[in-house]
Amino acid sequence: MESMKILVIIPVFNEEETLRGVILGIRSSLSQADILVVNDGSTDSTGKIAREEGVLVLEHPYNMGIGATMQTGFLYALRNGYDIAIQVDGDGQHHPEFLPSLIKPLRTGQSNLVIGSRYLLDGGFKSTLPRKLGIKFFSFLVWIFTGKRVTDPTSGFRAMDRKGLELFCEEYPSDYPEVEALISAYNKGLHFQEIPVTMMNRQGGASSIGILSALYYMVKVTLSISIGSVRRVK
Amino acid sequence: MMGIRLNLFAIIGSIILLLVILELIRRRYLQERYSLVWIITGTLFLLLSIRVDILYRISNFLGFSIPSNALFFFGVLFLILIVLGLSVITSRLSVKNKILAQEVVLLKKRVADLEKSLGSPE
Repeated sequence: MESMKILVIIPVFNEEETLRGVILGIRSSLSQADILVVNDGSTDSTGKIAREEGVLVLEHPYNMGIGATMQTGFLYALRNGYDIAIQVDGDGQHHPEFLPSLIKPLRTGQSNLVIGSRYLLDGGFKSTLPRKLGIKFFSFLVWIFTGKRVTDPTSGFRAMDRKGLELFCEEYPSDYPEVEALISAYNKGLHFQEIPVTMMNRQGGASSIGILSALYYMVKVTLSISIGSVRRVK
Repeated sequence: MMGIRLNLFAIIGSIILLLVILELIRRRYLQERYSLVWIITGTLFLLLSIRVDILYRISNFLGFSIPSNALFFFGVLFLILIVLGLSVITSRLSVKNKILAQEVVLLKKRVADLEKSLGSPE
């Protein structure tokens, strides 16, 4: 069990202020894991910082979106024989001290996909009101299509085993992938669960989501899931 | 009825359109698989300019009040279909492009790792 190969994937886009701290945090919380930074065409010194820290680095030739960035990491993990892949955002809102509990259900074979939810514990940063409403909406959507209660479906703090990796290497949306990934995991018969975590407000950089893109997020995911549910399965 | 001058103008226009299409194919600016629909369109234009009565008959049959309405209707319908087709092509290309970029990224990493393990300079 202890010999499982673990890869922590950090998708980054202009995260020079926070990346070093995130890497240090992961090293102290989960020292046996390899760390992979996937740089999605940053225009600041993010890539340089990653190389200085001596972690694995993949550089996208241009900005391809968070979904494609994670998928590049998944492909690397699958092809290099990792048993577990973890996503930790580069902006510092995910606490690395939760990493061991995030992968515990994977080690025991209890789940294929584990999501860190900020709504199962008191304390920490809970997000703003409009964002909370959006998250409620997605929870409802996930409940409709899977019958499962997920309190934080947009959380990017998640870990998966090889089955999850295989699925997400095959299909992973290019933008706003988190909610759709849950549905496709459910449709492929994978088991997912949440564990309680606390999150911080972002330490640097700007949120990637404004009002218009929030609207696009909701419409796009709803459309994609609805049509996906009647799509012919390969 | 359409005047002879307008008729001539339509015929010349159609011929120019067809020639431009053929030239684009000859220079390989337009792939054959995407050119078929344009060749058909150009030929149709030419046919309708030579035999305007066909347009009149179609328009009458479908109940358009004037033939130019029928022409506009089919023109817009055709353009919508073309644009839809282009969106499909763009979507397909962007998926292929993503896969290609990801493969390049992973290959570059492998090459760098191999070079490091072989100890070759840079």
